[in-house]
Amino acid sequence: MCESCGCGDPDSTVTLTDLGSGARTVLRAPHAHSHPHGQDIGQLDHAPHRHGPGGEVIRLDEPVLAANARIAARNRGWFEGRGVLALNLVSSPGSGKTTLLERTIASLAGEIEICVIEGDQMTDRDGERIRAAGARTVQINTGAGCHLEADMVASAVETLDPASGSILMIENVGNLVCPAMFDLGERMKVAVISTPEGDDKPLKYPHMFRAAGLVLINKTDLAPYLDFDEGACRRNLAEVNPAAEMLSLSARTGAGMDAWLDRLRAMLASVSGTSGSARA
Amino acid sequence: MHEVGLARSIFAMVAERAGGRPVSCVRLSLGPLACVEPSALAFSWQVLTEGTALDGAALQFLDGEGDSLVVREFEFAETV
Repeated sequence: MCESCGCGDPDSTVTLTDLGSGARTVLRAPHAHSHPHGQDIGQLDHAPHRHGPGGEVIRLDEPVLAANARIAARNRGWFEGRGVLALNLVSSPGSGKTTLLERTIASLAGEIEICVIEGDQMTDRDGERIRAAGARTVQINTGAGCHLEADMVASAVETLDPASGSILMIENVGNLVCPAMFDLGERMKVAVISTPEGDDKPLKYPHMFRAAGLVLINKTDLAPYLDFDEGACRRNLAEVNPAAEMLSLSARTGAGMDAWLDRLRAMLASVSGTSGSARA
Repeated sequence: MHEVGLARSIFAMVAERAGGRPVSCVRLSLGPLACVEPSALAFSWQVLTEGTALDGAALQFLDGEGDSLVVREFEFAETV
């Protein structure tokens, strides 16, 4: 499909890098599409149609994101069948997603295996950080793209092959707008807000916070130096998404991490049917 | 600016069925929670279709439900 594939744009190549082997695969390249952009006359007979007062009307009734939704559903089924907890981490750039993952991986080392799909427009800097923290990692560079899509996750999962009873963390491109639209097949979207961003973030980006099941307030260690009001942030979140949970922590100091780790263990137990311990 | 990508998807869906015949308009239904800005989508559409088989096809927006964005139908330019 053509979703932000950037057909005509420069820098539009989407690549997948396996940071274990260093192998780089091109998922999408300019002018090298696997998806059709148009076909010859002769396809019309397949579409139901009627005649209107103007020209002939062709009825489609097809969701624009149907192709992404189909692949996402396949990913979701794969995760459920394998007993893998897949989480889609979304936030604005700089909220501390990567630091949160580093500490999470270190804290659960030897208890739960974590694999990571790192999404960024350019570079494998974050992927290298995650690999150094001890997790198997695939870096996806979206080029001009502003979000991950389900087919990119499907390709990354083929490379990572996450084990039953493990957690797959999908760190989306830092962006509070577009990733809200694209289902990747995850169990839940986890949104991260950092205290310097302000407590009104949920009101300013309601689509994303409506899509999230869990919201983490990060960088609580900086709160004394800022005007961030955690109570106001919770009220603002409740206004756009009353069902969302909220936890506050500092990935840098480790304060509040235990509640997040317990939440991960509980979610993993619910998908893998175990108490959260890794199964080979 | 995911509207550019959405416009490309809509283009592919319509161009595939139109088979090169001129199209006068494409009707979409858009839910209030779709996270899509109609004016941005219309602008992307205009830029994208310029000089193509779909040049001149107008995007029309109908009310949809929830977060849906659906291509309802398109209309050929010639009168039958």
